[in-house]
Amino acid sequence: MDNVESLLHGFTIAITLPHLALMLVGVLLGILVGVLPGLGAPNGVSLLLPLTFGMQPVSAIILLSSMYWGALFGGSVTSILFNIPGEPSSVATTFDGYPMARDGRATTALATAFGSAAFGALVGVVLITFLAAWVAQVALAFGPPEYFAVYFLAFASFVGMGGAPPPKTVVSLAAGFAIAAIGIDTVSGSVRLTMGIDELVKGISFVVAVMGLFGIGELLLAVEEEVQAKAVSSRIDWREVFRTLLDLPRHGWALLRSAAIGCWMGITPGGPTAASFMSYGIAKRFSPRSARFGQGEAEGIISPETADHAAGTSALLPMLSLGIPGSATAAVMMGGLMIWGLNPGPMLFIEQKDFVWGLIASMYVGNIVAVVLVLLTVPIFAALMRIPFFIIAPLIFIICTVGAYSVSNSYLDVVLMLGFGIVGYLFKKLSYPLAPLVLAIVIGDKAEDAFRQAMLMSKGSLAIFFSNALVTTLVLAGIALLLLPLVLQVAHMHTTTKPVLD
Amino acid sequence: MISRRALELTTATLTGTFGAAVVISSIENGIGWSTAGVDAGTFPFLTGLIVLVASLWNLGRGWLENGAAAVSSSDLRHLIALFAPAAVFVAAIPLIGVYVASGCYILGTLALLHRFSLPRSLLIAAATPVALYLVFERMFQVSLPHGALADVLGF
Amino acid sequence: MSAAARSTILTAGAIAVLFAAPAAAEWRPSKPIEFVATAGPGGGTDNLARTVQSIIVKYKLTDQPVVVVNKGGGSGAEGYTYAKASAGDPYRVIFGTSNAWQQPMVSRVAFKHTDLTPIAAMAQDEFLLWVKQDAPYKSVGEYLKAAAAKPGEFKMGGAQSKDTDEVLTRMIEKAANVKLTYIPFKSGAETAVQLAGGHIDSHVNNPNESLGQWRGGTQRPLCAFSPQRLPKGPNVTATQGWHDIPTCVESGLNIPQFQQPRTVWLPGKVTADQLAFYVDLMRKVQNTPEWKEYIERTSQTDTFLTGAEFEKFMNEDIEHVRKIAAEQGWLVN
Repeated sequence: MDNVESLLHGFTIAITLPHLALMLVGVLLGILVGVLPGLGAPNGVSLLLPLTFGMQPVSAIILLSSMYWGALFGGSVTSILFNIPGEPSSVATTFDGYPMARDGRATTALATAFGSAAFGALVGVVLITFLAAWVAQVALAFGPPEYFAVYFLAFASFVGMGGAPPPKTVVSLAAGFAIAAIGIDTVSGSVRLTMGIDELVKGISFVVAVMGLFGIGELLLAVEEEVQAKAVSSRIDWREVFRTLLDLPRHGWALLRSAAIGCWMGITPGGPTAASFMSYGIAKRFSPRSARFGQGEAEGIISPETADHAAGTSALLPMLSLGIPGSATAAVMMGGLMIWGLNPGPMLFIEQKDFVWGLIASMYVGNIVAVVLVLLTVPIFAALMRIPFFIIAPLIFIICTVGAYSVSNSYLDVVLMLGFGIVGYLFKKLSYPLAPLVLAIVIGDKAEDAFRQAMLMSKGSLAIFFSNALVTTLVLAGIALLLLPLVLQVAHMHTTTKPVLD
Repeated sequence: MISRRALELTTATLTGTFGAAVVISSIENGIGWSTAGVDAGTFPFLTGLIVLVASLWNLGRGWLENGAAAVSSSDLRHLIALFAPAAVFVAAIPLIGVYVASGCYILGTLALLHRFSLPRSLLIAAATPVALYLVFERMFQVSLPHGALADVLGF
Repeated sequence: MSAAARSTILTAGAIAVLFAAPAAAEWRPSKPIEFVATAGPGGGTDNLARTVQSIIVKYKLTDQPVVVVNKGGGSGAEGYTYAKASAGDPYRVIFGTSNAWQQPMVSRVAFKHTDLTPIAAMAQDEFLLWVKQDAPYKSVGEYLKAAAAKPGEFKMGGAQSKDTDEVLTRMIEKAANVKLTYIPFKSGAETAVQLAGGHIDSHVNNPNESLGQWRGGTQRPLCAFSPQRLPKGPNVTATQGWHDIPTCVESGLNIPQFQQPRTVWLPGKVTADQLAFYVDLMRKVQNTPEWKEYIERTSQTDTFLTGAEFEKFMNEDIEHVRKIAAEQGWLVN
């Protein structure tokens, strides 16, 4: 097969001593920026960019993409250990990763996350290898109505689950949408909801909101459980890492389903964040162990992690073949591509075979390097859990403060983070669900843009969401997912004879 | 001690105020939906309205809550002991910069508040700003706030 | 006045003199310089900032490190507002476009272009009218005829709202007496993909934004909004290069010129010496082969407007855009 040949040729480019060394450096730096909240992969990549100006394009992209893999893995570490997602796409990992780590099983949680992430990434690369041409065509079919339908599907698969009181869920979701709308609106160009604070024109960064809601909020809650927190101590146990990895295939179905969701959201430009939320939502809805979700269930880690990495990897394909970056980091890399003298677009695959296949081959190798390195660090990270709470708490506070500041060198962001911390505490305490809030902050404005672009196209008519087979299917699937819990409830009421007690 | 009822009422008032502010602010942007498309304020207006109505509902439910404690007195003391120094730390940043502030914050919490051994507290308090400086300022070239004090001293 | 107070004032005066003295001589940066791109990573503005950075690094044009940061929030308003707040700080160089003066006209942002100190306009980006590869129109005339037959049905995509792309769209409407539906997307790259997928009928991307798509045979340009054809260069597709694309005027759409300047600024309240240093720095950058290569690769027009020339250009553009914005009812102040 043509692709296999090209891939083998790619391996001869990727597996050379200098390139392996670059991967090692890239991955290590990536893990570091991933672990530090606020300093995400986009920062790291844009910082390394000037160093690559003198390099061969293929060496440069190997360095940058390795950093990206490292950061993707590193982002999960703080999600699991401290409930602070380093990247938007690792929010869903906190739902079960953090409870598991608090339960004293930090090693298991980290190893599960890394193992399934590696699997997801691998599926993503295989997809790129064999279906590149087809995938590029699929992405082209997505216009504004289809984009909206994808976001709608992601919301539908997530909303309506969990036992929170409906009015509280509604507050959480709607407030998230409002927060996402702050700043300049793409469709009209006007300034919205800045409430007299000029600096808010830039919008509220997701990272700032999440560090406050999850990181600081959790810290405030944990202080009340200080006695329990002290009991948590993770033994450094290598066997535990291997046992966990060997155990992963037992969750084969969850792995496959999540990888499929991830790849699908990666190519249809829903992105890794939507993918991880959707994957978690669907897993929770259809898993036989549904009730255990949120309390440290392995599948609750596997599902978002696999989907996140599958999407993150396959999102590089639209960048190469169409010139649309699937993530912020991909956008920085694309800027690099142009400076190195390459034009992302349909011809890249034909004109720059060495570059493209060298990169694809390096994805295989780079991810393996990344997962090995990151697994080696598991015991070190797990050991962080043994530091007494009263020492780690101020340190986390400082790291969050500095992280919030470094998102866009703004003190306002630090103050906002503190505010979100209080909201996070109150919400968690009073069982307002945080997940819908975060999901709405992340994809709310994108969904709104897509909806309003579609309305411009259709002159205000909703019929555009049923104008072709693709968009109709997506919308109907979303509606079905939305109604499913209601239907199940009604069916449940019919079959049970006993009155349901609240 | 803070009762669950007080907490529920506070939170609902908070979200309700936010909802009302969003509603008022988005009317300026226009809230129409016509053949010319959907106005910029339409969705914020709707979401604000939803937040407002649901908050009123939560307010009503919160009113019916009993006065059982949600945060006990000792919890409250712990909370304040954690949050107050942190808030002071953040407030001090514009004045004395992240480096000095973080050192003082660590030293204060560890040595004064938790009676941790002084030499170790000093060590952590000194190591934190140095680590921040090396990682952020040197490695990733993110310039952290040095504060008004540094400006006066001419850094 | 007490003796103590007098001595304090004297000391303060002495310190001020001490600090001001070196500034009187030629100014040189003594700490790292921050390049603020008023756009997200990957776009034209970001590309310019990073190219200038790479040239400065390569030729060691200053001994201080240069860092690029992206402040593209709020369609660039984040970067400009940041610049306004940094008044007097000569270590922040802002890279933008004409939106520095256009945005304050059409939306309630907190800055005005007069809050900034202009360094130079370093390049002019060209605009073309693009349609999908398999669209039936061979010329801009055919395109406009089809559009006139179905008023409001033709969908024109573009980056951002009430920015250059939409201004040009409204100019086309007026010049050709047609009605188009403008759909704003986040970036030119996204718009190009929407055209490739057939979700819109046309867009007015810069050459660089659609180069890859043209080579890949998903879309093609009908005409260029420039007074003469774009310079001869290597062929882009098998048979055509930029020079083969007619100007819009020669194909009957009377818009002789529409360009987007790439602008470079300092915050307000910097000294003349500091400004002079950066004007000189940008001039040095422009005289390198790498810059020529960048201009050619992105098919922009090389210019270097500074001082009074830049002001004149800006004022003319402001007048022009203000007229269109007023007609469309976009003006906010």
